[in-house]
Amino acid sequence: MNRMDMLKYILINVIETLMRWVPIQYKRTLIKIGTPDRNSPVFLTCNYHLTVERLKRVLRGVDCYILPSNSRGFNVWCGATGGHFNNHSVISSLKTSGIEKLVDHRNIILPQLSAAGIEKKVIKEKIGWKVIWGPVYAGDIPEFIENGFRKTLEMREVKFPLVQRIEMGVMWAFPFSMISGLIAILLFPGICLPLVAFIWLLSLLMFLSFPLYTRWLNPERKNIAFSRYSVIFDFSRLPLIFWGCVIIILVFYSILSGEFSTGFIFRWCVISLIFILLISIDLMGSTPVYKSGLHKDRFLKVYLDEKKCKGAGFCEQVCPKNCFNVDVVQHIARITEENRCVRCGACIIQCPFDALCFKSPEGKFLPPENIRKFKLNLFGKRLKQIL
Amino acid sequence: MSLYILMKILESFPEKYNRGITILTRGNLDDTYNRLITFVKRGQKVLDIGCGTGMLTIKAAKKGAFVKGIDVNPGMLETAKNMVEKENIIQNVEFSEMGAVELESETSESYDIVMSGLCFSELNEDELSLTLKEIKRILKPGGLLLIADETIPKNILKKIVYKIIRFPFLIITYILTQSTTKPVKSLDKVLEEKGFLIKSVRLNKMENFVEIVAKKP
Repeated sequence: MNRMDMLKYILINVIETLMRWVPIQYKRTLIKIGTPDRNSPVFLTCNYHLTVERLKRVLRGVDCYILPSNSRGFNVWCGATGGHFNNHSVISSLKTSGIEKLVDHRNIILPQLSAAGIEKKVIKEKIGWKVIWGPVYAGDIPEFIENGFRKTLEMREVKFPLVQRIEMGVMWAFPFSMISGLIAILLFPGICLPLVAFIWLLSLLMFLSFPLYTRWLNPERKNIAFSRYSVIFDFSRLPLIFWGCVIIILVFYSILSGEFSTGFIFRWCVISLIFILLISIDLMGSTPVYKSGLHKDRFLKVYLDEKKCKGAGFCEQVCPKNCFNVDVVQHIARITEENRCVRCGACIIQCPFDALCFKSPEGKFLPPENIRKFKLNLFGKRLKQIL
Repeated sequence: MSLYILMKILESFPEKYNRGITILTRGNLDDTYNRLITFVKRGQKVLDIGCGTGMLTIKAAKKGAFVKGIDVNPGMLETAKNMVEKENIIQNVEFSEMGAVELESETSESYDIVMSGLCFSELNEDELSLTLKEIKRILKPGGLLLIADETIPKNILKKIVYKIIRFPFLIITYILTQSTTKPVKSLDKVLEEKGFLIKSVRLNKMENFVEIVAKKP
């Protein structure tokens, strides 16, 4: 039986990693793990199918409840930051799942990354549940429980380990290779397989070698892109200029060598265009450390108003990059690792004294209430007032 | 009419929502809402659940009712507020960032009408159940519940056509927003179970869009 479970788990992981883009939703009903009693911990998470499956796997052996909450099938971080996984999702789950009748305590453990969208203060005020920020990775939960529901510095940090990089590579490779594979079958069947192999290799290489080239990536140097949505329409971009040059050279080469044919040129155009497109995705939103040209918020800086800060340390608890250092003697927080900040805004949203806010390069401030109200998605209005 | 799924795209950029949805539904939604609004009378107290950019709210307020619009999306509410200011009906409208399951702060038997356009399809069974229970509590006896929402056709042929038409839109919506809508099944039966009296159920030709008028006994 156990072996069957393992097999099923592996299968789910493989399929859903391939279809990483698809917001497969887990049914929003309370899940019991083991034999939970009235004091068992309650873990709330998003309703992205793979997340819930993995959480279930990690928590086996622990008597507890899992509550998948409405994030419209998005993962925790994207859902919370983009406004799909919000206060209302949590309130709704706590109220309608029946958990209130099953446990005596009123503590709910939320994944730390959801702090970018869910407000601890609001949940407490509206329905009286106390939010405890769990670790970033579900894998750390058993240790977190052993620790008496306290996190170590390690547990608070988002990393980009090899497994995750492979996952991201697969996430891009699969849909890209499927679409271009299909086109290739229709137009020139001969190159279908090599094309698919090429796309897989390229995207895996892009993500696997990420640590090697990170230091040369400097998102702040780039201007705000002319067209926000895609490189396809923006011919001023370097990759497209480069692509044009390659094609021209190719045409000249084929004419000179006497092997010119439109089919040959067309094929190379398509292949190289796919190459350019994959490269120019600019790792968009697929890494937890690097913001692409699409993310206008990369210019923002977190600003700390020392007069308002009382050193409560909420920021330190939710920062996924450990940027803060709270001085417990002087009761004040300090941003010690500013360059590591990924602008998720979790610290600003959670600060009970509104001591933090975003500051634009021109020196304009984006107040906390706006950051709480306007979420950060591609169509979001968070930056409207200042950029 | 399968275009309701494209709402998801429009929800992502609220200021274009109203114009977009009118084009998408070729005025059908507007007609639907206008039909529902005929039940609203001057001076009545109305609650709009999932008001979005306030299409229903504004229509009701223009008829002289006092409307409270609630929604979970603060961006949409911001757009709704701007629209209300433009229409010059601020004194009749109030907005609040609230979910459908968060109605306990409303006083019992205080509303003449509760209405909801394209919102119940976002709720799961438990949420719908709680929401309907609360609606029944806050409605005055004889008060009306007006619903317009996406549904799944019962006729098998229409169901197949519906699925086929819906599919490409599903893909487009998905590419742009990575999310989707889920139509509600037999809402009228659920309402009856919850103790509402169904006054009328109106399906469009494709049977994928339903308008329900229910009454609290």
